[in-house]
Amino acid sequence: MQMTVLALSLILMAVIAWAFLSAARAAGTGSIATNTESRRKWLIVGLVVVGVAVTALSLRPWPLAVAATSAVVNVSGGQWYWEIDTDKVPLGQPVAFNVHTVDVNHGFGVMDEAGRMLFQVQAMPGYVNQVEYTFDTPGSYHVVCLEYCGVAHHDMATDFTVASE
Amino acid sequence: MTAIVETRGAAAIVPQTGAVKLTMLLAGVVILLMMIFGLTMRAAQGGLIQLDPALFYQIMTAHGAGMVGAAGLTGAAILWYFTGRYVELLPGVFWAFLGLFLLGVVLILGAIFVGGYAGAWTFLYPLPAMSGGLWAPGAAIIFLLGYVSIGVGFLLLHLEVGRKLIGAYGGIGGALAWPVAFGNGRPEDAPPATVVAAMASTIFNTLGIVVGAAVLVASIVNLAFPAFAVDALLAKNMIFFFGHVFINAAIYMAVIAVYEIVPEYTGKPWKTTRMFAIAWTVVLLFVLAVYPHHLMQDWAMPVWAVVMGQIVSYFSAIPLIAVTAFSLLVYLRGAKSMRWDLASALLVLGVAGWTAGSVPAVLDGMIVVNKVMHNTQWVPGHFHTYLILGEVAMAFGFMAWLARRGDEGLSGLPGAFFWAYAAGGTGFVVMFLISGAMSIPRRWAVHLPQWHLQAQIASAFAVLIILATAALLLRYLMRVGKG
Repeated sequence: MQMTVLALSLILMAVIAWAFLSAARAAGTGSIATNTESRRKWLIVGLVVVGVAVTALSLRPWPLAVAATSAVVNVSGGQWYWEIDTDKVPLGQPVAFNVHTVDVNHGFGVMDEAGRMLFQVQAMPGYVNQVEYTFDTPGSYHVVCLEYCGVAHHDMATDFTVASE
Repeated sequence: MTAIVETRGAAAIVPQTGAVKLTMLLAGVVILLMMIFGLTMRAAQGGLIQLDPALFYQIMTAHGAGMVGAAGLTGAAILWYFTGRYVELLPGVFWAFLGLFLLGVVLILGAIFVGGYAGAWTFLYPLPAMSGGLWAPGAAIIFLLGYVSIGVGFLLLHLEVGRKLIGAYGGIGGALAWPVAFGNGRPEDAPPATVVAAMASTIFNTLGIVVGAAVLVASIVNLAFPAFAVDALLAKNMIFFFGHVFINAAIYMAVIAVYEIVPEYTGKPWKTTRMFAIAWTVVLLFVLAVYPHHLMQDWAMPVWAVVMGQIVSYFSAIPLIAVTAFSLLVYLRGAKSMRWDLASALLVLGVAGWTAGSVPAVLDGMIVVNKVMHNTQWVPGHFHTYLILGEVAMAFGFMAWLARRGDEGLSGLPGAFFWAYAAGGTGFVVMFLISGAMSIPRRWAVHLPQWHLQAQIASAFAVLIILATAALLLRYLMRVGKG
């Protein structure tokens, strides 16, 4: 997903840059703009239509849903360590991570072996935040902290294994 | 409308030029220093220099607070200067604002570099009180008191602007051009674009600062009396509401320079049309409602709030793209004559960069994307786009306009400064976006070896921006006192 988002961003940003460079080059020529307000209205309508469609498609199914039947893994964060209550995270079924903190805010982020972020959730004092993920590849997964939490924030990491059975 | 005509026509109404010129100089120096801090951090992340993590996070805290503060300062100076064309503002209020701002800067720098405070500019509760031994509660209190000082100054400024606009334009609705937006008012009777933008910015920044003051005071009391606890989710909501509104207000205040200065180059006034008036009321509501997009990974947040964050995040871009950016493109294309100099080029770059920055911001505001991009370098990627290439470009455009001489163009050194700034800024933010897409976390003092190259390339672009910014600032310094 990340590279798709990057490509889409760079393309749209390039389109915006082109629109401005093009207008800057045309400035001073006194070109007569026709149907300006009509174009503006169609631009707004187009943006609204895209927005409604993207909103509907991206929120169904609900991206933050946690199923009641999931396997449960409890995670505790503290300055500057992670504790995970199991070393047997199951493969191929939804796993719910219950994440809390014993001190300040932390960010529980999980990366695959290639260093690609798979999911994350915040760990917040006084709350247990949940996030669900289904691992489809066995192997070692890396946990990092994604919320600045003090001087050893970058060292707050651990690993867990998703077994093949 | 009689009162408005009389107010506009009063010969005594002139902007507070000297104070604003001084403020922009101070802000420019702070921005340059913060850019050097930014380069230092990127160089450390790239393994080019060795930096103790404690010092890295102190620099990170200073960089965040300094850049947000400087953006707010330049935005407020632009707001004050151009609002001063339409209503008579009390000069003492601006001096009080500037004095409180400088007092806040001294407190913040002292807390960081003397007291060792490194809790980030976002002071996320309860981190200021739980440093792991790195700083004492007193340093955190001084840091937060620095914010309070700056916030009080902004409140004074906005109250003065607000009361004068309300008095001159027949209330809040009049200053926001509601008769044109939602009634039978005629556009030719509407207040100037500057007045509409100033009124809306004043309302949402005042609300943001009041909420910020509440959570600042709660955090200070917690530091002094640890038994006084604050709900962490409530504090987080208040902090991000304040932070989001404040930095957005900086941009929305700075765009007033575009409304006022670009017409001098295109020959066409920036009119308050019905669409413009509606857009600013929409902006007013959206700026206040969008902040939950910072809290999408806080599962404890109400579902409706997170959904609202995604929806409002997307739709916030529409007034920017379809009204501000679109209108500027139309004005440029329709201009019978157009002179490009540093001022006009930087102001147009500012709107272009702001608009471009909305793309990665909106994408990050989608829950499915946020789940893998939040707090990676994607986040500084998008906000550096609409700061370096947006707000700060507008601020330097305003400074170039303040220091303008005759009919200069964009050839020679001014052109080199402009293109170095634009190229350096573009390369720098693109490296952040690429790094974010590669899942590199933000706010890490030490990077893995496989992430060094991205930070090294970003450092090279940072050097280019710093050289360009130093040149722009030096040019301003050499001219501004002689104009």
